[in-house]
Amino acid sequence: MNSITPQYEDYADALEMIDDEDMRFEYIIDMGKKVKDEDFPEALRIDPNLMHGCMSRVWLCDEVRDGKHYFSGFSDAIIVKGLVAMMAGSFSGLTTDELQELTTGHVRRLNLGALTTQRQVGMMAMLETFKKFGLAGGGTIAQLRSGSA
Amino acid sequence: MNKIVPIDAQSGSNSMDAYDIERVREDFPILKQHIYGKSLVFLDSGASAQKPQVVIDAVHECYETYYSNVHRGAHFLSQKCTDVYEQVRGQIATFINAQSENNVIFTSSVTESINLVAQTWGRKFLKKGDEIIVSEVEHHANIVPWQLLQDEIGFDIKVAKIDDQGEFLLDTFKALLSPKTKLVAITDCSNVLGTILPVKEITRLAHEVGAKVLVDGTQGIVHIWVDVQDLDCDFYGFTGHKIYGPTGVGILYGKMDVLKSMPPYQGGGDMIDKVSFSGTTFQEPPYRFEAGTPPIAQVIGLGAAIKYVSDLGMENISAHEQGLLAYANELLSAIEGVQIIGQAKDKAAIISFLIEGTHPFDVAAVLDRQGVATRVGHHCAEPLMDRLGIVGTVRASFGLYNNKDDVDRLVAAIGRAKELLL
Repeated sequence: MNSITPQYEDYADALEMIDDEDMRFEYIIDMGKKVKDEDFPEALRIDPNLMHGCMSRVWLCDEVRDGKHYFSGFSDAIIVKGLVAMMAGSFSGLTTDELQELTTGHVRRLNLGALTTQRQVGMMAMLETFKKFGLAGGGTIAQLRSGSA
Repeated sequence: MNKIVPIDAQSGSNSMDAYDIERVREDFPILKQHIYGKSLVFLDSGASAQKPQVVIDAVHECYETYYSNVHRGAHFLSQKCTDVYEQVRGQIATFINAQSENNVIFTSSVTESINLVAQTWGRKFLKKGDEIIVSEVEHHANIVPWQLLQDEIGFDIKVAKIDDQGEFLLDTFKALLSPKTKLVAITDCSNVLGTILPVKEITRLAHEVGAKVLVDGTQGIVHIWVDVQDLDCDFYGFTGHKIYGPTGVGILYGKMDVLKSMPPYQGGGDMIDKVSFSGTTFQEPPYRFEAGTPPIAQVIGLGAAIKYVSDLGMENISAHEQGLLAYANELLSAIEGVQIIGQAKDKAAIISFLIEGTHPFDVAAVLDRQGVATRVGHHCAEPLMDRLGIVGTVRASFGLYNNKDDVDRLVAAIGRAKELLL
């Protein structure tokens, strides 16, 4: 898969152009600030959509349309909110097969070295969740966890 | 003795002048590091403290010149290593004023120290219907070992309360005590709030109803002068890496009659008197509780750390840290939107805080980018977070090497966090 999605390329290019780690860090904060509460309504911030094991609370949803997965998400922490927005935007619109082709290298290309290791691990966990959504054909985080999706 | 040395919050000067902080900082090579191009401000000593050069050198020298297994080797190196290793036991005994070096057991951590007591003393003496008391400020390491045992035995766990300022409520503790109380397992200093608990009085009250007392000294031993005989506690545990020593070594102090009443913890080499298939007998304390090859170099490193701290003087360290605490408290309190979590009268140099309208994880991440290392989260004290109705805090914990510049950098970084996040 040479090109993932236009949005992914935009993020990767933008972050590549920023050669200062502090600026890159602030870019992610700005991304988080741009996510408004109404972008991910309260009704979706429920336990079945909650990822476990995160330091802050992270909710993720998958909507399948025409065989393609469209992700959205939210967090109570701004930085994580920005990361969720970037990850969901980058990898939305892919088919199940395309999702399975994603690797950690695709996440690394986003050039998020300004993040702590823990958050980078969180990004990889998010990628794995997207792939699981793909294999399951959608569903909720809780269903993925229980194997019923 | 269990005390902190008060200092004038306004001046913070006398003891801080007497304590040559810049010379002390020279002893810690890691403080010369730059993080993200900024000089390091290390305010996470409550999680694990940095090591002075003498500790690094002691561990290095051990491995380089006389390392060998201890206690049984029939050769020069083993004898020398054993001598140095056992001297540390005596050093620790002197440091905490234990009755003798035989009251000092080497473990791998304070977590193991507490589990040792739970699995030996607890398993032997606790029965269904008994009660033990912990407090709301305990670290998980002083809750979960008792819950694991509770599942098997069926005793009750009572919880002593704090008020909204983080002050330990002695009266409510008294009300929990009864003839059913067999153990009080309590910290002498909250790792989140910094509250110094009145463990001497707690011990006296617990003994009145015949209960034993285990003090989790993980944080307390670093900030306050501890005298286990004065406290009169039955057990006192602490860990090496928070008192400027290596990881992988902890201490359990116990009164000799109590230790003698306890069965072994783990079976293996070194802890036995005689082994045969018809029956095995065990060594006297402390060796009864030290199965297998111990953390030799770590113990020797801890000895160097204890000597370093002793040479500086716990009262001087405490006074210096109290000066920093007062200074930090004053500056942080003046920042709009900053809420300090935990305002007990007797506090060690630990400040947990939140910034209104922000998530603590975001704040800690911005501080980190400014070169200021703090800790964030529930700090392994989830019941305390539930009590306070918060998900976590940012915690700045001070060590003997921090200075006023560190506080100023923290304050500046908080300002930057507000700019970026609000």
